[in-house]
Amino acid sequence: MIQLFRVSKIYPPNYLALNNIHLHVEKGEFVFLSGPSGAGKTTLLRLLFRAEEASEGQIVVNGRNVTRLNASGVAELRRDLGLVFQEFKLLPTLTALENVALAADVVGVRRQESRRKAFHLLRELGLKEKHDARPPTLSGGEQQRVAIARALVNDPILLLADEPTGNLDPDMTDETMRLLLKINERGTTVLIATHDAALLKRFNGRAISLQHGEVVDDSRMGRKEARL
Amino acid sequence: MRSARISFILRRAVQSLKELLWTHILTSATMAMTLFIFGGFLLVQVNLQSMLKGWGSQIQIFAYLDNQLAARDRDTLLTSIRAYPEVESVRFVSREQAWESFKKSMGPQSSLLEGLQPDILPSSLEIVLKMAYRNRDSVSDVAKRLRGLGGISDVEYPEAWLERFSLIILGVQWIQWIFGGFLFAATLLIVGNTVKLAILGRKDEIEIMQLVGASPGLIQAPFVIEGMVQGIMGAAFALLLLWLLFLFLSAQLPSFLGISLLHDRVHFLNGHGMALLLLLGWLLGTCGSFLSLRKFFRM
Repeated sequence: MIQLFRVSKIYPPNYLALNNIHLHVEKGEFVFLSGPSGAGKTTLLRLLFRAEEASEGQIVVNGRNVTRLNASGVAELRRDLGLVFQEFKLLPTLTALENVALAADVVGVRRQESRRKAFHLLRELGLKEKHDARPPTLSGGEQQRVAIARALVNDPILLLADEPTGNLDPDMTDETMRLLLKINERGTTVLIATHDAALLKRFNGRAISLQHGEVVDDSRMGRKEARL
Repeated sequence: MRSARISFILRRAVQSLKELLWTHILTSATMAMTLFIFGGFLLVQVNLQSMLKGWGSQIQIFAYLDNQLAARDRDTLLTSIRAYPEVESVRFVSREQAWESFKKSMGPQSSLLEGLQPDILPSSLEIVLKMAYRNRDSVSDVAKRLRGLGGISDVEYPEAWLERFSLIILGVQWIQWIFGGFLFAATLLIVGNTVKLAILGRKDEIEIMQLVGASPGLIQAPFVIEGMVQGIMGAAFALLLLWLLFLFLSAQLPSFLGISLLHDRVHFLNGHGMALLLLLGWLLGTCGSFLSLRKFFRM
């Protein structure tokens, strides 16, 4: 599903955010990308959905070489992905339903159908009563569930989440994690970037540790192999 | 899928026009102000040119005929001159008509002419050229050809006046293009910056659209439609302001200046002029949005 070959990212003038990363993630895996702030987790995630370009190396996502995409190619790549962020990234002027349906609308799904899918997902995530509410009137957990519903509306093959529980209290964190695991059980590959080490202990999944832009540990391979 | 996308683009544009009504009104008002100046300039140009055309109709060539020219030869001459492609009309003025006209022009002093014979003035032809040929080169060329014809003793035309007239026409045309060009560039700059501000205000929306996989065309299209609407609305508002100003000035100015000659000659923009201003508004709105979007997406 995800393959990174000797990937490096250097921010001008010469800050090395990622250094020579080799990584393989299989289809259907549930992966934690962990490490302290500044380790390169967010940068790695941003390279995967091409918000950033790699300075060196090749990145393949679902058979598509993302290092060689033009603007339309980037848009096509993102239609296969579901993206979830710490700060939710919802449009405050749209209702919860409209925010979710937006992702279906942009890929050309008919309005009625996109609304139906959005409503179905919101109901599944326990937000049936809040479908008409605008994000500023929702709690953090509810907003994150709307964001997850939006990420799922186009049935993505890969879900990338950057600190999805960063703004949530412990109860909401657990609920959100259980939701992501449920999504993974249905076959969607899930990659979560988090600095919360406790999450890795509470939930099962492959854990890849980053430090100073390098992979220092991979629970699938062990510390020594990961560094090679 | 295609129709769903078109419907999505239109929905987004309408939604934005509703949600950001005041931003759109302000952008349209900015366009209206600049188009008002441009339209005002156009109005002055149109009226100035129409005035110049009026003066142009007074350009005539006078061909004086030989006194001995027989009536049959005169008619042949008239027919051949009327066949010139440059000629609009030819009027024969007999000696008697010329004498009467001369007397009339002398007014109260016509008594000075008593005792003189009416045949001291030659008969002549008054030749008016078509609009396209009312310029120095064409008039001079026709006059030269007339001089070469038998039966014509002399040819006259207002050479110095024609020289000045041609210079004025040329000057007005240059001013129109230079000033119009500057004004267009300035308007484009203002509109571009206004649209850029509006786009920056919706940066988050654009980012989210990009994250959910919207293609560049799908993101930009609603903005371009909004630009078009703003441009046309701005131009329509500018036309309305111009019309009101025109009504006010055409009613007040003649009495204020104590002249009436402007009253019947000054007119508002015709259909073409109004269409030009609307087209310009549409073009400015579209180009302004498009250029700003290109800059924004390159960032």
